[in-house]
Amino acid sequence: MKRPRLIVLATVAALAATVALGGGALRGSHSPGALAAAPADASAYMALGFHLQALERKTGDPVYLTTSEHALRKALALAPGDRAATSGLATLALSRHHFREALALGRELLRLSPESASAYGVIGDAQLELGRYRQAFAAFDTIARLKPGLSSYARVSYARELLGDRPGAIAAMRLALEPAAASREDTAWTRVQLGKLFWSEGRMGAAAAEYRAAVAVSPGYAAALDALAQVEAARGRPARAIALERRALVSMPTPQSATALGDLYRLAGKTSLAWAHYEQVRELYRRLAANGTKTDLDVALFDVDHGIRLPQALALARRGHAHRPSIDGDDVLAWALARNGRCSAARAYSERALRLGTRDAAKLFHRGMIERCLGNRRAARLYLGRAVALNPHFSLLWAPVARKALG
Amino acid sequence: MTAVLGRRRVAVTTLALFGVALALLMLRFGPSPLAAQASSHREAPLIANDPTADVTDFYMFRSIQPGQADKIDLIMNVIPFEEPSGGPNYYNFDPSVAYTFHVDNNKDGRAGDVQFEFRFTNEIRGIVNGAGLPLAYVALPPITTLSGAGSEGLGVRQHYSLTMIKDGHRTPISPMTDKIAVPSNVGPRTMPNYDGLAEQGMYDLGGGIKVFAGQRDDPFFIDLGAAFDTLNLRSPGTDMLSGFNVNSIVLEVPATLLTSDHGTPATTKQPKLGAYASTSRPRVTVRGGHGRGHGHGDGDGGLVQVQRLANPLVNELIIGTKDKDRWNSLEPQQESAFLDYYENPRLALALSLVFGAPVPATPRFDLENALLKYAADDRRFSELLRLDVSSAPGASWPNGRKPADDVTDTAIQVVGGIAFAGAGDNVGANDKVLPNVFPFLASPWDGRNRVHQNP
Repeated sequence: MKRPRLIVLATVAALAATVALGGGALRGSHSPGALAAAPADASAYMALGFHLQALERKTGDPVYLTTSEHALRKALALAPGDRAATSGLATLALSRHHFREALALGRELLRLSPESASAYGVIGDAQLELGRYRQAFAAFDTIARLKPGLSSYARVSYARELLGDRPGAIAAMRLALEPAAASREDTAWTRVQLGKLFWSEGRMGAAAAEYRAAVAVSPGYAAALDALAQVEAARGRPARAIALERRALVSMPTPQSATALGDLYRLAGKTSLAWAHYEQVRELYRRLAANGTKTDLDVALFDVDHGIRLPQALALARRGHAHRPSIDGDDVLAWALARNGRCSAARAYSERALRLGTRDAAKLFHRGMIERCLGNRRAARLYLGRAVALNPHFSLLWAPVARKALG
Repeated sequence: MTAVLGRRRVAVTTLALFGVALALLMLRFGPSPLAAQASSHREAPLIANDPTADVTDFYMFRSIQPGQADKIDLIMNVIPFEEPSGGPNYYNFDPSVAYTFHVDNNKDGRAGDVQFEFRFTNEIRGIVNGAGLPLAYVALPPITTLSGAGSEGLGVRQHYSLTMIKDGHRTPISPMTDKIAVPSNVGPRTMPNYDGLAEQGMYDLGGGIKVFAGQRDDPFFIDLGAAFDTLNLRSPGTDMLSGFNVNSIVLEVPATLLTSDHGTPATTKQPKLGAYASTSRPRVTVRGGHGRGHGHGDGDGGLVQVQRLANPLVNELIIGTKDKDRWNSLEPQQESAFLDYYENPRLALALSLVFGAPVPATPRFDLENALLKYAADDRRFSELLRLDVSSAPGASWPNGRKPADDVTDTAIQVVGGIAFAGAGDNVGANDKVLPNVFPFLASPWDGRNRVHQNP
């Protein structure tokens, strides 16, 4: 934001608006009232739409996404082709996992504003979730060239992580810390991402330090509390883990936190508490779906992980995969097939899920279990071993299974 | 400016004002950059503010300090709207940003002839660090020096280097050791003699070169509040930026270091300089990450421009919002891609529509001539702040720019043309008196006693 230039523009705009219609230039065929009022309405709806999305980020309540969409659509109707409204709808589509719609909006944004970094951000994010990695990475390289900063460094970091280049991913996320420093929320978010990169290769202490730094700048930051709970659980302190996860869930009721809390209770032998939280998970997903978020893949993974209605879960996974054919979609579908005993079909998807060379313990574990199901004991040991070697605590539920399978 | 106002209709006007205010808020604060937490796919922030790389103003002028008329001063201000009480961390330069002045001295529009690059590092130190206090600065004892006894309370200290780049050749002017950026003005208990402290950060590097990096009062001035209050202008106006600070980099060099023939303002055959300020961050690519475990960037040391600034107004008033990212990513000599904005300025259109007063006919070439060319017959368009160093000290924008220049009024008058002669906001000077000695900017407001009003 260029302050002086902006202010001069605002002054002139204010001067202009203040005396609008006084000069007579707008009289005649146009209705002055409508001309003056219509832009006001569009910007008011736009501001409302963005504010509602901010509320959703703060509270996690997806009903704000629904109301935000109403406001932004109204704004766009009043000001067709408006960049801000289009951009708001694009982020909304990404939040709700409508990746094809987001891609179309991103392309529209690029048409309205050629070479704008945020248009490439939307396009890259959408391409990534649609499994079109070459295009997604090209978009990320373009943003990094146009506007180096938090949003481009974070995206390049994620791309490198997907490609199995964890040192590169960490280096890029470290670069994001400086531009993020201006905002507590951005700093907290970046610290958590950096911590997760350490965590994913088993560097528990380094991860915990980042998570604690996130809580220090943004007390009650749910994503950091949730991540710290995983650290405490891995360190064999279930009571602390449960306390942290409860705080995370109170701070922001997400299905991820409810799942983790349920799992922690389950491991602690508190089965009824566990199932109460699993029921909350379903309720949270229902609420997300009722407000327009596509949850098939996430619900499928939850059900498959927890052994709930496996045939239906497979159908959900197929639907989820169809709209999100990324390596995550491939992985969930592979895992759902495997848990339904369809191990040879599962392996084909698992191969796709690992095609970028991603070093993700959960995906490697899934592959190991599929190989075991197919009777390939050596391959099974290889993949399970790689999963555990990366991070012996990669999952509350499955890391113990992996370790046991390895003997 | 009242001469061109005409009649007003308050009800309609209020609606329009509301829209403008909202638009301003959207521009100033943007869509919130906070990433979503609720969704399971990775959502990085799409639009993030980047204040440490945000250049608010750029100045270049022949020194107005008595006896220093053979010197040229370059100033860049960054970090908009610094609230003086903004602890506990206050405001620092960004160690991952290169802050660079670029000068064109042979009128080819390419400002790579002489460049000065400032880089910063953070040092975490002292009693604050030892005691684990969550404070950057503390009066244990009161901070009276930048180094040695009396500096123990500086928990964070920034060092900086200055490198001159001429014809692609890098010459270190000052290494990353003893030059220290002046910290934010916390208040009288922590920094009992702030001006004395700041003076220690005004370095004479020899050879006629002086540098200063640190916090200053924001020298920009404008009466935005009166304009928003249904053009309730007053005389004198109130500086909307009173009580806010910025971080400044001030560099003074002999004109001989800048001119192509090493001549002084009096002797040079080539007195016209063009310049701009930029911020850059390390270049990264998705596939460039292999083989490095730590450190910055991709190992090649490459940088990519985040922002550039030469003349005031150009980015916000001339260049359309939709082209801003592209504009900032390009070099000034690539300005011909944006000529339409100069030939058909939106500001003039707005002025003409709402004031009903005549503005110069389009396409306009006067803005191109003033902002993009050294002379009317120049065929190379380059958006640079131009200074004729042979002009007497004290020349005003667009012949160079001094902190005291009233660019708001000038812009409206130039863009509006003859009908807007004498128009303005009645804020003709900064809230703090701007000194006519190095570093030409006023001491910053202190965090304890700051007031957001004129003194």
